[in-house]
Amino acid sequence: MIVRIATEGQYELRGQALDELDSADDALLDAIEAGDEAAFARELAHVLEIVRTRGRRLDDDELEESDLVLPPPDTTLEEARELFRSYPRNLVT
Amino acid sequence: MGVLSRMTTVLKAKMNKLVERWEDPRETLEYSYQRQLELLQKVRRNLAEVATSRKRLELQVVRLRETAQRLEAQAREALAAGREDLAVAALQRKAELLQQVEGIERQAGELEAEQKKLETAEARLRAKVEAFRAQKEVIKAQYSAAEAQVRIGEAASGLSEELADVGLAVERAQQKTESMRARAAAIDELVASGALDDRTAIGGTGTGIEAELARLKASEQVKADLERLKQEVGRG
Repeated sequence: MIVRIATEGQYELRGQALDELDSADDALLDAIEAGDEAAFARELAHVLEIVRTRGRRLDDDELEESDLVLPPPDTTLEEARELFRSYPRNLVT
Repeated sequence: MGVLSRMTTVLKAKMNKLVERWEDPRETLEYSYQRQLELLQKVRRNLAEVATSRKRLELQVVRLRETAQRLEAQAREALAAGREDLAVAALQRKAELLQQVEGIERQAGELEAEQKKLETAEARLRAKVEAFRAQKEVIKAQYSAAEAQVRIGEAASGLSEELADVGLAVERAQQKTESMRARAAAIDELVASGALDDRTAIGGTGTGIEAELARLKASEQVKADLERLKQEVGRG
């Protein structure tokens, strides 16, 4: 799976790293739902850390479209909520 | 991956808005080259803007430190003349100025990080543009026309995403630069009008408690400065 950290670059993740990313994703959702700024910053940093350390950084001459695009590392909780607000309503289940 | 998928959808939509997608790879080649050049230019322009803002903040720090020194000299003169009240007022302004300086230095540091990020982004985009030019020739030579079209289309999507991402980075850097410029202008105005004591109005983030703590810190600094100057003046 190709994952982009917006404004930073792309990584390729496989196998177990994806499972880790999945559980980090749940923790991130909890933080956003709780409106907990500190927890959000911590969980976003954790998600990005998994991608950076467990993924293979794509070379600058590799041209791939990403399967996942993660928000920029300095995203605030407020911006993250904005990302949810603008999520197309008909796709929310 | 619920949250991350949802964010992906929104971010991709945002990125698509920044860079239009092209369906026909043959068109892509000509059109995207124009867009690449435009975007590279935009990134360079923005780099220059960030650098200018940073220089401005650094100059401001120098000016504020000079003013702080002048205030201390005035406080010393006031004490020598037996006017402790004037000395306290001057030292208060000095302590407030130095708090401003700390804030500005922190922002200058953030701008420096932003500048580095854009430099990296520009280098990456340039490398991808080159890779795209090289790859499409190889693909055209190695595959049938139909398959080449598909593969070039895929490579173009990858490049287009990179273009959009740099666009996003530029947008964020611009927002940050603007807010810092506004802050620098506000501080300039306050210094000019001599109304620096309303610290909380500058950042707009100060709560009652923060303001109180800042005042407390400043008043401790004033006391320490006053004692030191008294000793100096006493000796002289």
